[in-house]
Amino acid sequence: MIHLTINGKAIEAPEGSTILEAARANGIDIPTLCYDKAVEIYGACGLCVVEAEGIPKLLRSCSAKVSEGMVVNTESDRVVRSRKVAMELLMSAHDGDCIAPCQLNCPARTDCQGYVGLIANGEYDAALKLIKNKIPLPASIGRVCPHPCEKACRRKNVEEPINIAQLKAFAADMDLKSDSYLPLKKAPSGKKVAIIGGGPAGLTAAYHLSVLGHEVTVYDMMEKMGGMLRYGIPQYRLPKEVLDQEINIIEKTGVKMKNNVKLGKDFTIESLRKEYDAVIVAVGAWKSSSMRTPGEELEGVYGGIDFLRSVIKGAPYDIGERVAVCGGGNTAMDACRTAVRLGAKEVYIIYRRTRNEMPADALEIEEAEEEGVIYKFLTNPLSFNGENGKLSSVTLQIMELGEPDSSGRRRPVPVEGKTEEIPVDSVILAIGQKLVTSDVSELALNDRGNIIADPDFFTTNIEGVFAIGDATNRGASIAIEAIGEADRCTKAVDAYLNGIELETRIPYISKRDESTIDYSDREKKPRFTPKVLPADVRNKSFDEVSLGFTEEEAKAEASRCLECGCREYYKCKLLNVAQRYEIHPERFKGEMPQKYSHDENAFIERNTAKCILCGLCVRSCREVMDIHAIGLMGRGFKTDISPAFSLPLDQTKCNNCGLCVSLCPTGALTEKSKLSKQVPLDEQYTEEFVEIDGKKSSVMVSRYNGKILRVIPNDEISRNANLSRDELEALLK
Amino acid sequence: MRIVIGQGSCGIAAGAEKVRKALLTTDIPCEDISITGCIGMCYLEPIVDIYDDDEKLTRLVKVSENDAQKIAEFVRTGSEDAVKELFVSEEDKEFLSKQTRIALRNCGIINPEKIDAYIEAGGYQALRKALTQMTPEEVIEVIKTSGLAGRGGAGFPTWFKWNAARQAQGEEKYLICNADEGDPGAFMDRAVIESDPHNLIEGMLIGAYAIGAAHAVVYVRAEYPLAIKRLKNAIEQAKEQGIIGENIFGSGFSCDFMIKAGAGAFVCGEETALIESLEGHRGMPRLKPPFPAQSGFWRKPSNINNVETFANVAWILNNGGEAFASMGTEGSKGTKVFAVTGKIKRSGLVEIPMGKTLRDVIYGICGGVKTDKDFKAVQMGGPSGGCIPKSLIDTVIDYKALGATGAIMGSGGMVVMDESTCMVGMAKFFLDFTAKESCGKCIHCRIGTKRMLEMLDRITKGEGKEGDIELLEELCYSIKDGALCGLGQTAPNPVLTTIKYFRDEYEAHIKDKKCPAGECSDLIEYKIIPERCKGCTLCSKNCPVGAISGTVKNPHTIDTDKCIKCGKCYTVCRFGAVVKE
Amino acid sequence: MKNTIDLSLLDGVLSEYASAKGSLITILQHTQDIYGYLPKEAIELISEKTGIASSEIMGVATFYTQFRFEPVGKYLIMLCQGTACHVNSSELILETIKDELHIEDGGTTEDGLFSLKCVACLGCCSLSPVMMINEDTYGSLTPDKTKKILKELREAAV
Repeated sequence: MIHLTINGKAIEAPEGSTILEAARANGIDIPTLCYDKAVEIYGACGLCVVEAEGIPKLLRSCSAKVSEGMVVNTESDRVVRSRKVAMELLMSAHDGDCIAPCQLNCPARTDCQGYVGLIANGEYDAALKLIKNKIPLPASIGRVCPHPCEKACRRKNVEEPINIAQLKAFAADMDLKSDSYLPLKKAPSGKKVAIIGGGPAGLTAAYHLSVLGHEVTVYDMMEKMGGMLRYGIPQYRLPKEVLDQEINIIEKTGVKMKNNVKLGKDFTIESLRKEYDAVIVAVGAWKSSSMRTPGEELEGVYGGIDFLRSVIKGAPYDIGERVAVCGGGNTAMDACRTAVRLGAKEVYIIYRRTRNEMPADALEIEEAEEEGVIYKFLTNPLSFNGENGKLSSVTLQIMELGEPDSSGRRRPVPVEGKTEEIPVDSVILAIGQKLVTSDVSELALNDRGNIIADPDFFTTNIEGVFAIGDATNRGASIAIEAIGEADRCTKAVDAYLNGIELETRIPYISKRDESTIDYSDREKKPRFTPKVLPADVRNKSFDEVSLGFTEEEAKAEASRCLECGCREYYKCKLLNVAQRYEIHPERFKGEMPQKYSHDENAFIERNTAKCILCGLCVRSCREVMDIHAIGLMGRGFKTDISPAFSLPLDQTKCNNCGLCVSLCPTGALTEKSKLSKQVPLDEQYTEEFVEIDGKKSSVMVSRYNGKILRVIPNDEISRNANLSRDELEALLK
Repeated sequence: MRIVIGQGSCGIAAGAEKVRKALLTTDIPCEDISITGCIGMCYLEPIVDIYDDDEKLTRLVKVSENDAQKIAEFVRTGSEDAVKELFVSEEDKEFLSKQTRIALRNCGIINPEKIDAYIEAGGYQALRKALTQMTPEEVIEVIKTSGLAGRGGAGFPTWFKWNAARQAQGEEKYLICNADEGDPGAFMDRAVIESDPHNLIEGMLIGAYAIGAAHAVVYVRAEYPLAIKRLKNAIEQAKEQGIIGENIFGSGFSCDFMIKAGAGAFVCGEETALIESLEGHRGMPRLKPPFPAQSGFWRKPSNINNVETFANVAWILNNGGEAFASMGTEGSKGTKVFAVTGKIKRSGLVEIPMGKTLRDVIYGICGGVKTDKDFKAVQMGGPSGGCIPKSLIDTVIDYKALGATGAIMGSGGMVVMDESTCMVGMAKFFLDFTAKESCGKCIHCRIGTKRMLEMLDRITKGEGKEGDIELLEELCYSIKDGALCGLGQTAPNPVLTTIKYFRDEYEAHIKDKKCPAGECSDLIEYKIIPERCKGCTLCSKNCPVGAISGTVKNPHTIDTDKCIKCGKCYTVCRFGAVVKE
Repeated sequence: MKNTIDLSLLDGVLSEYASAKGSLITILQHTQDIYGYLPKEAIELISEKTGIASSEIMGVATFYTQFRFEPVGKYLIMLCQGTACHVNSSELILETIKDELHIEDGGTTEDGLFSLKCVACLGCCSLSPVMMINEDTYGSLTPDKTKKILKELREAAV
């Protein structure tokens, strides 16, 4: 035995063993990408370098042998520096998306590609489970979300983005129609959490924390849970029955819900803090913002959400026949379309820019117009005029678009002396909402009047009190933003409750340069939008406007997905090493060595743009299988791995043994799953055994949601048996 | 009376074979018209040496086939007038007289196609002595005494490698000669093989005997067809004489000999890549250890030295290790051959003892810069080396001293540059080379050299940004540390040395968007100085984009918007009226 | 240009080298000498006779710059890219050849007469800039001299 020291730990290793073997045998992890016991040592990746005292050069631990008295450091500054640059260089030449842009652009990081793909495959329950990992209110959110995911969807470069939001609603509706999914809960932790506010943020936090085994109580000032989803969004867009069902499921996970209790009146943060191990403040922003326009105090001038709430509570304000709604966002849309449904004859939208700049969803703008809403673009209220304290008209300043402002939108500027007066019975101000600061007097606020919460950990000035959602930092935003914060906050709270420190570094992921992507080979398939009630029916009724997807429609729409995210994401060794250190490959941005390409046979798919040239596939095909289906072609930066003469894999001697795929450290070689849409999923792999020609043989079986997705040969017998994957699977039974 | 025409590749390219043929068509009264290899005075090719019966030499230089009759007349009549302008000058004679030739001792003197010529010059005596009078250990001892170190670049002691291979376990061993002279700017190995192939064979056979190898292999690059031809011929002759084969000189020692031609890959100069290539594979380096001395060609113990190293061996055995070691410095013994090229007055092969200075070579022997511009730097060691600036011209030729500058001794390429050479462009040139020649195996070299090249390319295009120099340096050190083989580990040297000595030039490109040397086309503008322009119209005729306007005999002007900066006007102008700024 | 490849031309090479280990590069060099490039059919035959997989053969052949996979012109211009040539403005010679022949590096003229390839140092540094056309070396090139050489070759070929 040889005696050496690795990272200060005295170790014994058999003579002739490598430093890597010695380290791994002693639980010391040295990253490698081109090393595997099955094949000869290659030394290409250079990630396994270590520093040994007295040796000036870094040693590749995969090949350097241990020697008596050796003192090795596997994580010295020099080693880490070398590995970082190696990874930065490698990732600068790795052309792939770890995660699809839709998911990246979702504030809650919902796995859109995952559930869209599962819907395409008809796996609705699996899709729903995936969604619920992030969003406990998917039927509601699917209906109301302004879907940032769709803005990032690359299908827009072919024709139009996938209808991701409504597909989510579809999967959730399917779940609500039958035995709804209830997540498996962790064992009780014995910890108690109070959540103030039962809106999307509070409910999401409650759900996740409950699943994590904590005892959760939600306090809410209204008579029912749901917050802005219930009191800010009209029935025709989100039927409250749907919301009730979803809240019911959250309650079933064990969340206790207390309504009609108000912070500052019935309890204080301080009082909750004494009773609970942690408190999350998710009170939202319930006060309509003022426009500071003369005449706002007149009778007939209402706040947008106040108006919507009055309608939902069944006691609508008297708005008369002529209504002007100020604002261009979704709340303004909700207000004007509600006014139409209440019977107003003339409903105006007063908006200081043009249709193109309106933040509201395009479909909403269109549907409102169909329902008779009149747009007054490039106008801004100058004054609300009235007699005897009662509103009678509004004077509008005519605007025009000037230079772009910091948001990139052109700034509206008044046209000197040009005004217009329109007679109105009521005005609804839908330009934003604010926190009622008196409710949270115990917490520190920023100069915008919002609660200061740590952007990573959501902590406030009071120990053990966290804050999320519309009430915090930058103020009111969309529901999915609050849900995302709630999701991340629960991790922080869970860590806090368990006394663990959370890492804040955002792990590196690989992203493709959008400008280099070619879509010319994609067949055009138009986006499908579910049917809606006819305008002349819906403008008189609060029935839900959208009729939703049928199963066939949903599958067809989901099948349009371009599958941007890498299906090897969950087991990518390359990504794992890339995330080990903080790396910045953009420093070395340059030409990509290979074009995006596609070659597949029945079981294996190749994409050389993701290849890192570790050579494991070529070497295993040659050294282990003696098949030589693929080889290294060319040299230098442009080295490529392919069959001779660039033939497709199908025209080689490849016997689909799958060894190359199982050794590929990244997504350059993938084993297709049985799903028709190949979805990146966190599959569970187990080694199982089958009998082939009377001999026991090992196979790797991957399962997801209880179903077998892949069966991969795992030893000499199964690799050489030339059996199809279906035949192997049949042997399992 | 005999006439000898220098016919190395350079000589032939300059027209030596045409001269020979032309001479044969004359009535020249000389039966003995033969060839020799490379004389080393490449700048004077073609060269015709006329030896009278007393072996007195008359050397004619820059001869053309049109001079054949004159030469015939000179030989016939002895009248010097006809060929006076062809006589080599006294100054040019110094180019050779100031040299000390060991490796090149027969080059340009003997006929490389005749084994007898080599034997007459004392050839194969050292081999006979080694085989019949010395033990292998004694041979290694002599080499140890001589202090001979690898001339291919790294400068590793030759005896040590031989001894390691000698000590290695195994019956079957290989002695390999690395003649894959890939460094652009170095051609001494080609010259040795073309001019004195038996010297190489003799050195290799001595080496084979010393390590106990029964197989000798020469790996020659495919770009050297003449060298391959002459070496093949020499091997055949040596076989006929029993010098290669069984029981050489009755000593009981047997050794076969084989040539393998490379196929165009610089990385095959790296010994493990060379072995891969010899075995018929892609020339991708193997991990070391194991070293070739333990596991090399066909996984057998193998020793690899380059051509120039072997070219010294026979001389050392004949003259003793001490004689060789008496030349040079503490750490670097014997002589070294340099291929001096670039903007140099006398370009060719120079062999001098170690310990001389760069100035001795560049000014003392080669006459300094050939243009009217100032000497700027000398590039040594090719893509693995670096640029040594004017201020360090008194650096001593010694492995350690040269290494201290950031360059390396290398295989002996010396490319001389004047003020018109852009040093960022020079670094880019070498990175372009290494990026193209990278085998692609390890990350640092495959991607790192490419990214360095991209950065340098941006800088020379005026797209460099603050921090680029630091980023380049960081990348350089990482590549040195992380690359798998010598090619990658040394690839950053041209960048590091130019940054070290010419940082201001990098900064000018990055900050001021200027190329001080006036070489980077994106950063310069061509202009016509009206006072100098004679209106000859040559520039406008040659401008590929019609950017130059003007009428005959009147000053022309360049439309800088149209100009693509190809520099054609600058090249064709006979009056120096076109300038770049 | 040949339409069909006469594979019998390889008989000699294969009988000499097919079973000699380590001879792949030598076989490929002879094959290229015969056909001017490496035809796919020849690679397949070499694979069959040597037992070396065609993926391996192509891996080797694409690694080395000497090998070509398309027929080349009657005159193969190999322009040296060495340091001395660079310092002595070989770039101008490259531009001249490109202009004269309307081809890029690696290309062949439409009439099949000239192919252009930039190559590693030819080792004739003292004569830089240098090019080789087939077996002949041309040194101390200038744009004018280059044009003249090309013109002479073109005329000689007609």
